[in-house]
Amino acid sequence: MCLAAALVGVLVFLRKQSLLGESLSHASYPGVVVGVVVASPWITTKNEGLVIAVAVAAGAFVTAWIGLLVIELLQRKVGVRIDAALCFVLSAFFGIGLTIASHVQFTHTTLYLKMLPYLYGQPATMTDVHIVIYGILSLVILLMVILLHKELQAISFDRDFAASLGINVKTIDAVILFLVVLAVVVGIRSVGVVLMSAMLIAPAVAARQWTNNFTMLLIIAALIGLVSGFLGNYLSVEGNRYFSRGDAYWRFALPTGPMIVLVAGVMCILSLLLASERGLLWRKLRALRFRYRCICENILKTLWHFGSENEIALEVVAKYQDISSIYLKFILWRLSSHRWVNNTKPRYYCLTNDGRQWAAKIVRLHRLWELYLADYVGVGVERVHRNAEEMEHIISSEVEEQLTQLLHNPKQDPHDQPIPSKDFVI
Amino acid sequence: MMMKTTLIAYSNPYLGKDFFQFFMQFFRRLWAIIMGNVSSGDLVSDEVQIFVLVGISISAAVVGTFLMLRHMTMLANALSHTILLGIVFVFVVGRSRGVFSQEEHQGFNIQALLAASLVMGVVTTFLTQLLTKTMRLQEDASIGIVFTTLFALGVIFVTVLTRSAHIGIEVVMGNVDALHVDDLRLVYIIAAINVVSFSLFFKEFKITTFDPGLAQVMGISVGFFNYLLMIQVSLTAIGAFRAVGVLMVLAFITGPVLIARLLTHSLRMLLVLSCVIGSVISVVGVALSRHLLSIHGISLSTAGLVVCLIVVSYVFTIVIAPRCGFLAAKVQESSNSHT
Repeated sequence: MCLAAALVGVLVFLRKQSLLGESLSHASYPGVVVGVVVASPWITTKNEGLVIAVAVAAGAFVTAWIGLLVIELLQRKVGVRIDAALCFVLSAFFGIGLTIASHVQFTHTTLYLKMLPYLYGQPATMTDVHIVIYGILSLVILLMVILLHKELQAISFDRDFAASLGINVKTIDAVILFLVVLAVVVGIRSVGVVLMSAMLIAPAVAARQWTNNFTMLLIIAALIGLVSGFLGNYLSVEGNRYFSRGDAYWRFALPTGPMIVLVAGVMCILSLLLASERGLLWRKLRALRFRYRCICENILKTLWHFGSENEIALEVVAKYQDISSIYLKFILWRLSSHRWVNNTKPRYYCLTNDGRQWAAKIVRLHRLWELYLADYVGVGVERVHRNAEEMEHIISSEVEEQLTQLLHNPKQDPHDQPIPSKDFVI
Repeated sequence: MMMKTTLIAYSNPYLGKDFFQFFMQFFRRLWAIIMGNVSSGDLVSDEVQIFVLVGISISAAVVGTFLMLRHMTMLANALSHTILLGIVFVFVVGRSRGVFSQEEHQGFNIQALLAASLVMGVVTTFLTQLLTKTMRLQEDASIGIVFTTLFALGVIFVTVLTRSAHIGIEVVMGNVDALHVDDLRLVYIIAAINVVSFSLFFKEFKITTFDPGLAQVMGISVGFFNYLLMIQVSLTAIGAFRAVGVLMVLAFITGPVLIARLLTHSLRMLLVLSCVIGSVISVVGVALSRHLLSIHGISLSTAGLVVCLIVVSYVFTIVIAPRCGFLAAKVQESSNSHT
């Protein structure tokens, strides 16, 4: 179930329609109710599970499909915005389902109890019959995704391109929507109408943090879906055991559906934080590292400006950096331990040969960029310095090469300062 | 849940009335209330229902108008889910402090509820924006993750702390028949807050909705009004959850506004019309539910019935709306072909 939902979720996520599942899962609620009612004449004690499961699946499928059509209709014909259409269909269908349910509750209380599991989901009460039915439906989804893999990939990223490949875009669109509805139907029994959409969104978002490849995206999302399914079940069972051990008063059931959703949500947030390329933590770390390098380079530059041979007092260096003195001392210590800077006397610093070369490179980049701005972009000479202060940390050696050629290997910058040559040697 | 028969055991003047008799009786009672002949304790359940639903409709319509215009109705959906966590928290803290009496439907502490909705509104909006801006996620996906996770947390807490899913289901479904005069106070406090805030900041809301750039230039904080609106949405949702449940309040928020949107293009008219439409539909809904009970003996959830009525009136309006309805389009077509 979780696997199927995760696969379909990737498709909707890439189409930027994540909340569609939310609406459709609510829209399937009247189907659940009607399904139970319609099935009621055929229910005997023996086949009860089967009949209800089939009827509910069919009913949910029909009403979710109707909900989808209504959303389309509202958007196309009436000109309602997508969000309002989704929201309206969601609440309206749910309200209708509830009205019918309230009547059923009044007349056939036993039937009403059959519908309740579908609201929040109760995988614990699922039987072999459910497993077979939902297993088959999930398999259908899985097979369709695998078979149509290429078409889905093309259409998810570029519809025009897909059309030019001779793919029938409309059919595939319909297939995707069909898959969404099917996934909703499969999911409502185990996580419930209200929380179904999480199973669509969370694995897709989490997987998106780890890869840029469509196939990998599908696989990772499916894995995350599976893991959260197992882990959610496990935690709810373990939690029950743990809590009920101490005291008979605390005997209760941790709801499994919400537990699965919670696990999926936590995994999703962890991925957002920790993922290798796009995760927040790594991005922050990269930004910090870049800032550190900028400060290093600025210090080296300051030392260079006061004469590359001289020993400079700490106070003088500090005057030209806007960082705290403790951090400055730390960075100077790092620089000297990496042999960029010599720290012969306490509080006095002087560039080493390596440090001199690095500083010369920075100064060269700075002045090259100033010259480029003044000569080619036409920026006033008095304004080029500030921009060059930033660019000197960014320009790569290829860009440096191009700049040198473009400016015919210049010797002087717009402020008539000498530009250190590329292979600066003392 | 539908304990209508037990609740009206004492003398209810609406007992056994059909649709039109209900209105006759209602206006007679209304007159009596206005003249001061009926104290608030004497209100019968039908009247409480009507007044609460009208109050909800007014807040929902006012809030919904701006939500619609900002294309943020799905955020309302998210908020209506996350306040479950707030409600649970209030319930638990309140019970452990003994604020609530033993009877379940007595005295939900109003200040605590308001505070909870405030907190949840801010938290949800903040988290969603965090995901969108800092984590560079699509907006709808981040809404989807935040509210489902918080809602799952809420459901788990409900089950763990109360050892029954009863509150959970009641919060989702609502229960008009268990309404109490205290609910009336809560709903009207919230409606008053909404109306006052919108009439005070009408200009600011208008500008931030239609032209955030201009608002920035004029020194109006777009972010502040965004949060204010979200807080009001969660207030509305929390006011409504006892009566209609957190999901169907969305129908109250979107439905009347969508209907009114077909009829007018002016913002003021939109606000007024959606309030009126929402209120009328609520009254009719209560009357219809009473009619069905007394004539046909069918007991339906009143809130569900109101939502159905909203749907019916929306379809009706789509067909007959003067400017953009199907009928108008047909008429225009035929007149075009004549000329």
